[in-house]
Amino acid sequence: MLSEPGHYDYAPYTGRPKIVWPNGAKIAVWLAPNIEHYELEPPNNPRKVPWPRPVPDILNYTHRDYGNRAGFWRMADTMAKYGVRGSVSLNVALCDHFPEIIERCCELDWELFSHGTYNTRYFYDLSEDQQRLLIKDSRDTIKKYSGQSLDGWLTPAITNDETTQHVLAEEGIKYTLDFVHDDQPMPMKVRKGKLISVPYSLEVNDVPLFQLRNTPPARYTAMVKAQFDQLYEEGAESGTVMCLPLHPFLTGAPQRISALDEALAHIVKHDKVWLATGREIAAWYTEHYYDAFSSWLAAGTPGGRR
Amino acid sequence: MSNEVSDKKGLPASYFEYPWRRKGLDHDRFPFRILPRMAPVAWPGKKGVALWVAVHMGHFPMDMPEKPFRAPGGMERPYPSYWDYTQRDYGNRIGIYRLMKALDARGLRATALMNSVLATRYPALMKEIAASKWEVAAAGVDMGKIHHGGLSEADERALVKEAVTTLRGVFGKSVRGWHSPAHSQSMRTLDLVAEAGLDYVTDWINDDMPYEVTTSAGKLTAMPLDWDMSDQRLLFGQHMATEDFTDSVKRAFATLSAEAASTGSGRILTLTITPWLMGQPHRIRALGELLDHLLAHGNVWPATGSQIVDAYAAQAKADQASP
Repeated sequence: MLSEPGHYDYAPYTGRPKIVWPNGAKIAVWLAPNIEHYELEPPNNPRKVPWPRPVPDILNYTHRDYGNRAGFWRMADTMAKYGVRGSVSLNVALCDHFPEIIERCCELDWELFSHGTYNTRYFYDLSEDQQRLLIKDSRDTIKKYSGQSLDGWLTPAITNDETTQHVLAEEGIKYTLDFVHDDQPMPMKVRKGKLISVPYSLEVNDVPLFQLRNTPPARYTAMVKAQFDQLYEEGAESGTVMCLPLHPFLTGAPQRISALDEALAHIVKHDKVWLATGREIAAWYTEHYYDAFSSWLAAGTPGGRR
Repeated sequence: MSNEVSDKKGLPASYFEYPWRRKGLDHDRFPFRILPRMAPVAWPGKKGVALWVAVHMGHFPMDMPEKPFRAPGGMERPYPSYWDYTQRDYGNRIGIYRLMKALDARGLRATALMNSVLATRYPALMKEIAASKWEVAAAGVDMGKIHHGGLSEADERALVKEAVTTLRGVFGKSVRGWHSPAHSQSMRTLDLVAEAGLDYVTDWINDDMPYEVTTSAGKLTAMPLDWDMSDQRLLFGQHMATEDFTDSVKRAFATLSAEAASTGSGRILTLTITPWLMGQPHRIRALGELLDHLLAHGNVWPATGSQIVDAYAAQAKADQASP
């Protein structure tokens, strides 16, 4: 077993090359709706049981189904109201199951990236060839339903295996979201090719906040605002990234949608904000800062107060 | 420091087969429906939001089994847990009377989702429930008798029959709804519930509006009982403060009212509460204030589960035909 992921070296939050986002923005804000389907009768994975209750776990199955029938539509309208696009962490089989959702995403000019095939099919214990097969399925399915290229990746249920990032880079994926180690994109060390991490979040993420703890809606808004305000301020020194991961079955519920609405109203009233997609953030960083960061890392992270 | 990457052979080919990957859901019980695109439903009096108060009336045996899982609210401490048992039994002795009083005072009738064993254990309570004109829906036998895939068909049929027969023995044909203890079903539960002659089920939490479900014994209507906004999940399971629970309900109501206005279709606010939680002295005034807040809106149709099912069914043809 590995004692650490091995895809990055330590990089202090001082002395870094200065990032400036398009139009002088200090912060790149991106919303990542996880649009998922959990199967009623999934196969077993040796390392993770899909449902907390015996199959059929109709309580948990239908709770997630709520997102596709009701929550997504409400959430999409709220985001559109503020002109905020989504970058969809997509279980790609959902294209086949519910193409109406994909049509709505495309109509809103949202990005689609892959979150695997189903959220009940994990990457634990897959061979590299099996991982490649699934990445190809994602690439082909997203292309077929949206015409988009597959640029980003979040392993389904974040069940990546040790080799996953290498395989992603070799398959031409440009950015990975399996890392929550930083508030800025970072080059990833991979066997071949070029891969960067774009910040995701497990802090201002509605699964831990609503599913695991049921944070009151007003507290959620306060947390998202605080996250934004701090990263906005720090972005004056070097541009930051704030990701707001969303799950339609949670945030799209009628008791919570106003909490998202209030948070977005706060974010969009600032002028130095870049409302971006994951793909746009990855492209800007790769074009303007990948080499600078790589050189800084290779030189032993000089600068700061040392 | 180790740097060995495990040598893996991978998973069997069946892990990459998707027998249900197709348009629509991965089962045949009901079609996929998009809430904002459903055919509009009008409630009586053109009210925007139906207010459905659903009360979980459970009995938690002190020796209840932990298999196949412990129902939420089940005994959390080692046997014999007087702590857990009596805290829940308080609901049937005291809390339920506070709920009835709070609802009676506002002219509201709840739907009691009742474990049938309560009808034989507490006949005095049954008379009070009838006096408040509450609707009673069958919610299995008791909280230790979970419906799940490991039950034989005969055993599960017997559980459904016992619950329905017992409750109909007290409340007659007005018993039309079903709730499986802990929202748990086997693949057959819906068929058995329809076979027992019931009209609606409250276990699936995937919608804000009713829809039709196919069974081997005819159609059932699925009703949107709330779980993610139930007092049992929020106040007990996740230790939320009472005020945050009532604030959540008020927010949901505001959202649903606005949607009813913008779509021209009725919506349902389901208030799912539990006597041993919301019936506590320190919470009952918050419930009263919440109900007053909802009723002050004026655009509310207070209804039982059966009343909502009937209003929906009268218009369901249009919904089933909608794209």
